Formats: sequence, C-alpha cells, structure tokens
Amino acid sequence: MSGGDSGKGPARNRERAFVLTGATGFLGGHLMAALLERGDRLVVLGRPSKGVSLEKRISGFLEWSGQGHRRDRVETLEADLLEPRCGMGADRYETLLAEARPIIHCASDTRFSEFKRREITDANVNSLKGILKLAEDSRAPFFHYVSSAYAAGTGRSFCPESRAGSGGFANVYEETKAQAERDVMEACTRCSIPVTLIRPSIVYGDSRTGRSTRFNALYFHVKSLQFIRDIYLEDARTNAGRRSREHGVSLDNDGTLHLPLRIFLPRRGRLNLVPIDYFVSASLAILDRARAGFVYHVTNHHSSDLEDIAAYCESFLKIKGIEFHYGPSNGAALSPPEALLDKFIEDYRPYLADTRRFDRAHTDQATGGLRVPELTYENFERCMKYAVNVNWGKGAPS
Amino acid sequence: MDDVLTTAKSCRHYAMCKIDFLDSGVCASGPERVYDSFYPQGRMMLYAALAEGRIPVTKKTVEIAESCDLCGKCDYQCYFVTEMRPTRVMAALKDFVARHMSSGGVAERAPEDALLKDIRSIVGEEWAENDRGIAATYARDPGPLTRPRTPAYVVLPGTRDQVSSLLRLFHERGIPWAVRGNGTQNMGFVLSEGAVIDLGRMKDIVFDEKNWVVRVGAGVSAFDVQREAVRRGYRVNVAEPAALVCANVVCSGIFSTFMPAYGTAADNFVDADFVASDGSLFSLSDKNAANLFAFRQADQETPGICTRLSLKLHPTTPDETGILVPFESQEKALRFVKECAVRRIGLALSVLGPEYASVFLAPTKQMAAEVKDVFTEKLGIPYLVLVIGDAYTMRSVAEMGHPAFNQRLFRAIALGLPSLRSAGWLELLGQISADVPYSYLKIKGFAEMAELALRPSPGQLCRDVDPDLRPFFESLYARPEMTDLVWLNMFRILSARMGREKQFSVNIVYLPLEIKLIGELIEEFRRVAERHGLKNDLGFITPIDQGKRCILEYDYFFDQNDPDEIARTQRAAMDAGAVIEAYSARLGTIRWIRHVVNQGMSRRENLLYT
Repeated sequence: MSGGDSGKGPARNRERAFVLTGATGFLGGHLMAALLERGDRLVVLGRPSKGVSLEKRISGFLEWSGQGHRRDRVETLEADLLEPRCGMGADRYETLLAEARPIIHCASDTRFSEFKRREITDANVNSLKGILKLAEDSRAPFFHYVSSAYAAGTGRSFCPESRAGSGGFANVYEETKAQAERDVMEACTRCSIPVTLIRPSIVYGDSRTGRSTRFNALYFHVKSLQFIRDIYLEDARTNAGRRSREHGVSLDNDGTLHLPLRIFLPRRGRLNLVPIDYFVSASLAILDRARAGFVYHVTNHHSSDLEDIAAYCESFLKIKGIEFHYGPSNGAALSPPEALLDKFIEDYRPYLADTRRFDRAHTDQATGGLRVPELTYENFERCMKYAVNVNWGKGAPS
Repeated sequence: MDDVLTTAKSCRHYAMCKIDFLDSGVCASGPERVYDSFYPQGRMMLYAALAEGRIPVTKKTVEIAESCDLCGKCDYQCYFVTEMRPTRVMAALKDFVARHMSSGGVAERAPEDALLKDIRSIVGEEWAENDRGIAATYARDPGPLTRPRTPAYVVLPGTRDQVSSLLRLFHERGIPWAVRGNGTQNMGFVLSEGAVIDLGRMKDIVFDEKNWVVRVGAGVSAFDVQREAVRRGYRVNVAEPAALVCANVVCSGIFSTFMPAYGTAADNFVDADFVASDGSLFSLSDKNAANLFAFRQADQETPGICTRLSLKLHPTTPDETGILVPFESQEKALRFVKECAVRRIGLALSVLGPEYASVFLAPTKQMAAEVKDVFTEKLGIPYLVLVIGDAYTMRSVAEMGHPAFNQRLFRAIALGLPSLRSAGWLELLGQISADVPYSYLKIKGFAEMAELALRPSPGQLCRDVDPDLRPFFESLYARPEMTDLVWLNMFRILSARMGREKQFSVNIVYLPLEIKLIGELIEEFRRVAERHGLKNDLGFITPIDQGKRCILEYDYFFDQNDPDEIARTQRAAMDAGAVIEAYSARLGTIRWIRHVVNQGMSRRENLLYT
C-alpha cells in the first residue's frame, strides 16, 4: 500500500506521490523539501497569503531549501479546506481525485491565543472536513495527520502513543489538535482509510546548519531577552548606563550585562525539543513504515532542563542574572524588565513548567532507532546565530 | 521656478507667523504696522508678485522690504509648521527692491483718490491704502476654488464705529468689500476687487470673570485669548491658533476636540456685537436683532462683521491629562468614542487618522512619513482616539479596559520618534499583543522601559532638523507644554502641520455618529480622491451633543503651485459635495461646511436637528 504498509513492513522502491497541506509552514515546508529530494512528487494544497500566490510561496520555500530545481515535481493547487470541494472548481477537483495518493495533513494554526479561538478552530478542526472528504472521494490509501505531542493534554505525566484524551489542555492550540485527532480517527475509521497520527514536540531549526524559517517557541524567548538586553546596552552606550542602574542593571568589564531577571514558575520544567532535521527524517521513516491506527511521538528522549536553556541564553547573549523561582510568586513586585519579560513569555508559560514525558516506542520502531540530536549549546548557538543573522526571519519565505 | 520663488508661492497662509506660538517673538514690523504685508506671510506674497512681474516696485513695497531686519524669527515659526525657510524670501525681497532702486528704478506712488480720502477720514491716514504692493498681499488665497482678486483698497478699522462708518460708506457707494482675519480662508470669501477690511487692529481682550466670559475684539486670535484665559486658570473653546475668534465663530462655528464638553456654534459664546452690511449696529442679545441663531440648509450671505464676541470661559482642574487610545479599526474607535460621548466621559474626544498623529508629532516631513508607517505597520495602530479629561475620566476609560498611551508614554514617543522609527523590537510588541491588542501598554513599568528604549530627548527629536535651527528647536521641545496633550489640544499649534507636505482642502460634515454611515461616507470621500489621483486621508471625527452627532473632517491634499492638481482638487471638491448633498437629501440629518459658512452663530440645536 502506497504511503505506508498498514502493518506489512517497510517498502519503498518507487517514486510516489503525496497530497500535502501546510507546505508553506515550518514543518510542512521542510517535509515537502525532503520528499522532493528523495524523488517523490507532490500535490500541494494551500492558500495565497498577503497577496503572494501559493505558487510563489512554494517556489520561495523550495529556493530557500535548495530544492528549487525540483519545482516541476510539485503541483500547487490553491485550496480552501473550509469550502466544498476544498474551494476548487468541479473540474479541478475531479482531476485531483483521478489519482489516489496518500495525504499528509500538516496545515495548522499554531497560535495559542484564546482570543483567536475561532480562527484556530477553523484551521485545526473545521477545515478537516474538506481534507477528509478529499481523502474519502479520492480513496486515499493513507492519511497522515501531523498533530502535536501536547495534544495528549495536561492531565498526565506520561503520555503514551495512543489516542488523545479529552482532559485539560494548556491552550486552544492543544485543545483543537486533540479534537482534530479524534475527528481524523473517527472519519478515517468510518471510511476505512488507514491513518497515522504524527506528533512532534517543540521543533526548532536544523541541528546541523542552524537554518530555520520560523522563529517562534524557543527562539521567541531568546529574541525577547535580546530585545531587553539591547535596551540596556544602548543605555550603557549612550547614557553611561545611568537609567540601567535604577533597575540594578550594569555592564561588566568583560562586556557581560548583569541583568537581574526573576522568572516565577509553578515548578521546574523541561522542554521537549527536536530539531527540524530530526522531525523530517523521522517523519519520512514513519511515512515509509506507517502502521494504520498508530500514533508516533516525534519527540526527544531527553527533554531539556529549562535552567540549562536559560544558561545557554545567558552565554549566547552575554548576559547574566536569570533566576528561576518555583512555587507561588506570592505577588512579588516585578521590575520593569521582569514585567516585560513576563508578558513576553506569557503564552509559553505552561511549557516552561511542563514535566510531561512522552512514550516513543512506535517511533523508535519506525525510525529504526534514529538518534535524536540533543539540544547542546553548540546546536543552540548555531540556531540562534542563524536567527540573528537573518534578523529573526525578516525576508524568510512566508 | 527657483527655490526662493517656490517657497514664496508655497506659503500656506495659515498666519502662524502672526502669532507668538513658539514664544520666540513675531516679526517686529507686523504688530507695529498691522497690515498683513508687514508680516512674513505678506512678504512672501509680495515677493512672488514682484518676481513674477505682476506688480511694480511701489512706495509701500520699499517700506515693507526695508522693515524686515532678517531676524530669522519667521524661520522658526514657518519651519515648525511647514519646514519652509521664509527668511531667504525676505532676503530676496530686500535684494530685489534694493537692486531696483540702486539701478535708478522708481517706487511707484499710488495717488489718493476721492474714495480713499473718505476712507482715511474714517480710519486715519495710515490705516487705508491703495498701494499695489499692499494690495498684492491681500489678493490671493491658496485654496483650490478661488481665483486671485486684487482689492482697490485695504482698510484697517480700529473700532466698531469705524467699521460701521466704513460699511455705510461702501453701502452708499456700491463698493464691494470682504472682511478678513489673520490668514486667508481658502474658499475665496476674503478676496474682493473693492475693499478688503483687515480687522487686525481690534485686539482688545477684556475678562468678565464673574460672568464667565471674555470679550474679544475682532482682531484677537485663538492663541492669544487662550493664552490669557489659561493664565487666569480658565479655558476657552477655540480653533486654529492663528484664526481670529470672531471671524472663526461667524464663519463656521468652532470645530475642536473639546466639542463633546463645550459644544459648537452658539454654545461657545454669550453675546456678540455686529455691524450689519448697511453699517447698522446690533448685538445678538438685542430683542430686535436679526436671528442669527437660526439655521437654514442653504448658502448664506455674511450677516455682517462681528466686532466683539463674549466668549464663554470654562473652568479647568489641576488633574486634567490626556491619553491616546489605540484601535485596530475605525469601527472600534468609533464605538469607543461614542460610548464615551454618550456617557459624558471626557472633555475632549477625537478619532484621529494615522496621518494626523504622525504629521502632528514629527518635526519634519520625512520623519512623519516614517512614523506613520511605524504606527500603522509595526505597531498596528491605524487609529488613535484622543481623550482629554480629569482623573475621573481616566479612571472611567481604564475601567472600560482599553490600553492607552498615557501622558508619560506620549512624551516618550513624541521625543523618541527617531528611535521609534528604527526600533526592531516593535514587532515583538505586536506578537505579545495578539490576544488583546496593545496589551503591552498595560505592562507595569512599560513607560519606563519605553523611555529606556526610545531615549526621548529634544536633541534626539531634532536630529533631522536643519542644523542652524537645531539649538532653537531643542530648547523649544524641552518645554513641558510641547509634549503635554492637554496644552497641545488647547493651543493646537501642531494641527497646522497637516498642510506641511501639501496644501489641503477639507470636507467637513456634521452627521449622526453612526458607524455604518460614517464608514460609507469616508469610503465615498476616499473613492472621489482616488478617482482624481489625490492624496487623501481621514482627518478627525469628534462627537457632539452626547454622541448624537459628530463632526467628520476628510482631507484632500494638493500642490498649490500645480495647476493640474488644483484642477483635480476642484473636481474632487465638486464630486465630494455631490456625495454629501445626496446623503443629506436622503437622510435629512447631515449638515456640511458649505451651508455652515456664515451660520456659525446658529444654535447647536438648530444647526444639527432642524
């Protein structure tokens, strides 16, 4: 069976074609490039953005990823998954149905904002109707849904590779991804379409090159700290650091900025981080060896201690003074930079205190024990240097 | 056209050089000789007329040129508003006249005719002129709808009786006349081929505090009376600083951001003295006076000349302050401003478009353009609502839950604009405000961090200002009032910057404060401007009468020296007028500036609801 073997073991010896959504995003884009590189063909469904056509967006990403020469192996179809026939004309939709291809549904709204619940629900849940109908109409041989390890919910310390619960969630993103998993499973079961759930944890740039196209999550904290640091460095440069001293901030002789920043968290947390190169390799292996109904955690065996990451930030940014306080904050009065940082990290706060561990037996089996790079300082520095060099994504393919 | 002539012909005629709004003094010859011709504004017109050969060198031309001592004060004033440097025009004028005289040229002397003799017998020898040099400075306005008209006589009466005698004389002799204030009104109403009456000598200001009024003569500017009122702890509701209050009220009523509290039209005064067109005298409080409180939706003749106005004094409190509340959409801004108006929250309220906010704050055109982008693109603030009020107002707005730029943050931004435009961190603020727009404004200590990041200082703000003017402007911007939202809204010295890049033509409409209707009308105005290829933008929207109505200004910008752009602005003005008339006929609730002209004394209720 193309796109997976439904449990009959790995087989990959010919060119295959996939339908892919989310190819303009971080995970989907990298997956697209990797699939092309290994010789597959793709039909990419997506939308234009800010006046840029889907075709241009895809071409932009492929150029960035060094796969521009394989552009002719991608067919782009502008689609709206909330609309009947994915928003396509009858003729085009019929043409799309002519070939039964496995579908990789990667499109997602990764924002956490409760205020954007409607848009996030549309993107993550309501749009499934369109892509699942396409799967049914085209008799898709496999449906791969790229979800999130955090769809497991907050109520457990160990997350097995099994269907999502309906317990508590840290935010609307987790909640809608869990709902989407249930909808996908239910629809695929009903239509007898083999299905997998691929659940990455927090994905950052390429551990080998540092390259990335998205600079949120891990990056956002570093960028926030850099912003706060630069304010004080500028004060040191132009004002001899007079205002900085009012906040207890000073510049050491070796150029290190003493920047006291207390971060209050309910408990000491760990971040489960995987680099995009691992996500891609693991996903390709899973696609090749996918077993129907299986859930795959594309996560790290070793979560990173938040305090280690804070130390990386301090080294990278040449600052010192980050302190974690665990337990109730007891209404501690925050200094202006602490209040600003607190606001910056607000959305990510549940993950900073996260202690969940993820089963990955299915993934280990599918990937043949593919090693997950740990977040060492070298990886971290490589990725952050790249981020700074590209000004945190200005001009990156959108 | 050489640069000097271009500058001369680009004078906006806002008369900001005739008031001491920067506390730098005004051109010394102006207050002494009073004629517009002896102010930089007049000299700009005079030089253009001479350089283009429209008039010969006259006796008064020589006096005007020689009266300028090239002190440079007009550079401060004009640069502040338009970024132009009039001093070089003044120098060119002096040079032109000096060269003419030194090369054996003569200064033409205008013979005194019988009418001038009679006029002078009323106002005195020195206060009436038929000199072509003087006349040239009263011959044009920069509006798109008017053609130049050179007056035969320019007359400056000093008293109400003199005005009366003049109007009787003109009435008897059939002499057309026009009355003018400090600058020129850009609809041509201050131009006449007969006589132009300049009221600049009638500058009396008399406070009657027990009756909460200040009586101002016809030559008193908004800035001057506001300054005197503030010194005594009061406020008056007046408009543009250089506008003469009497003329302003008669012509269009007062448009200001304080309209929610102080009203408009007849709300602003207690009484007014008039001289009718036939020279007869009347006051509004006379039982038998013409009913200027009425309003008719049609073009109106001038009711005469208002020679004195008893303007209402308003109390102030020491806790007054200002805030700017940002909004992502016009609709949300209007909802908020209406909510405030209905609940009587705020002394001053106004929805400001991005053009206003950036142009007002920035000391140069270039910076204004960049800051506009920062506001709209990086900070995602296309609309700001200005709120002026006391501590109770501020508490109410805070309770309504809207994040706002308070006075401290406003100062940081106003003096830190150069850092703001280059700040890479602004996008982070946008990202952390995805949930509640602008929620970063609520972060404790944000103003302090903004001060650190923006490093606000007069020196920084002025770094793009012409180097020789920088010391003056640095000391100017160091003054607390220059970043005080309350002061700036009372004295309105920034609003003239709206015409800095180009002259502008206004569409001003009174209409119900209905979001859909306002949206439609703005869209219509925009479409008209786009059709004629004109830069255009929303000016402001301010509620009136507890939010039952509002006033909306939408502006079309044009190059006053470009005949093609002027022609397009004329066509756009006609089209916009047709749009307003159509809405007005359909709804019956819309009043526009064309019909308000000369009916500014109307009762607010008559103006808005009859």
